[in-house]
Parts: sequence; C-alpha cells; structure tokens
Amino acid sequence: MAKVTREMVERAGVDVEKLVELLVKNAAAELTTYYYYTILRVNLIGLQGESLKEIAEVARIEDRNHFEALIPRIYELGGRLPDDMKVFHDMSACPPARLPKDPTDVNAILKVLVEAERCAVRGYTQICNMTAGKDHRTYDLALAILNEEIEHESWFSEFLGEGPSGHFMRRGESSPFVSKFLR
Amino acid sequence: MRALTISELKQYDGRGGRPAYVAYRGKVYDVSQSFLWKGGTHQALHDAGRDLTAEINDAPHGDEFITRFPVVGELIEGPNES
Repeated sequence: MAKVTREMVERAGVDVEKLVELLVKNAAAELTTYYYYTILRVNLIGLQGESLKEIAEVARIEDRNHFEALIPRIYELGGRLPDDMKVFHDMSACPPARLPKDPTDVNAILKVLVEAERCAVRGYTQICNMTAGKDHRTYDLALAILNEEIEHESWFSEFLGEGPSGHFMRRGESSPFVSKFLR
Repeated sequence: MRALTISELKQYDGRGGRPAYVAYRGKVYDVSQSFLWKGGTHQALHDAGRDLTAEINDAPHGDEFITRFPVVGELIEGPNES
C-alpha cells in the first residue's frame, strides 16, 4: 500500500474503502468480459459474424488491458483481489456477457456486446465522478479506460444500426488511452 | 399491494439469504434476482432495504434500472418516521 497516496485521497473526502471495492468490481468485470468475449468472438462466424470478429477482438484485448491497468491502483490504495476466482467473478460490476441461446444470431451477440460496454461506460463514469478533483491518479486511469469503453460502445452501436460511431477502428496498436498505464 | 414502512423495508437487505427490496418514489421493488444486487449491495455504493429515491440522482443511469424489477409493495410512513 502507498500510505501517503491513500491518505491524500482520504483527506480529499473520498471514501477509499468504497472506491477500492468499486475498482475491484470493475477489474472483475474487465477480466470476466475478456473471458466471455473470447466465446462470443469465436462464435462470430458467417458473412455477418466475420465482419464483427476483428472489432470484438480489439474490445476483448483492450478489456484485458483495463484489468491489468486497474490492479496496481487497487494495491496502491490498500485493496487486494479475492483469493477465489469464483468470488471475483461473482462480484463483477457488470452481468456476465454470456453467449446467447442461439449462437448463430449475430444481432443477439451484438446486443450482448453493446450492453457490456454500456455497463462499463456507466461504471467508469461513476468512478470519474467520485474522484474528479480529489484522487487525480484514479481519475486519470478511469478516464483513460472510459475513453476506450465509449469507443467500444459506439462501434457495436454502429453495427446495430443505431447511428454512426463517428470514428474508425484502431489502426495499429490497441489501447491508445490506457497504454501509458501498462508500461 | 403490501404496505411497508421504512423500518420494515430495512429487513429486506439482501444479506444472509434475505430478499433484497429497494424503494423508489413510493413503490417497493424486489431486486433479489439481479446479478448487480448480489449480497444486497449495488456497485459498492447502494444498499438494499432502503429508499433510493434521492440516491438515483447520483447514479450513472436512469430510474429504468429500478422500475424494471417487480413491484412488491408500497412505501408508507410508519408511526415514528415523519
């Protein structure tokens, strides 16, 4: 634990216990989403599915990056991950992004993907709101993750025909916002 | 419809296998089946067994995340709750 780091955040008026719990829950959401997206991705087949596979893969890898980026901050603030992986899964901030009953229904898979991203957008917005102007490092991290989650949401939303995302897929490296936390 | 006071609502806190109820704008909702209310807490910040009408203003979502659950009663003022 980084003692003074935690003290500064507490003095700024943040409930550090609740913040840490929220960070752990969101880390759980990222790792479980990485797992569930692995299954969704391999089921994205056929003419419709193949066009989505690459974008689902980018979101999958970036969600794993988010998990990796969150861990140091959890421990800096005096938190820890549960010993039991099942406990970790069940405390996720977002519901499991399970494969739909009909795995050939690409639209249903897209809805699972977009709902998972929307849950993440809500979660990191909440963390940003809690930490803005108070816990600069957590805010910076949560904002970086939020930027990527918003892009994921807009990609999947675009495929659902809800409107243009306004930007393109990644060109080259993944996690343009979060990579600075992965060095 | 069943009427519950604030102190009666507190018993439905979702802990120890008890049902998880939350109140919102005078109605009581059963959130026990929600993955996001496991153990009677939601996102580490909100507890079951309480009136969330004011708390929803700080949530990063609208009230549809409460009103989608089954209504199990209405919230009434108890004798010492004014």
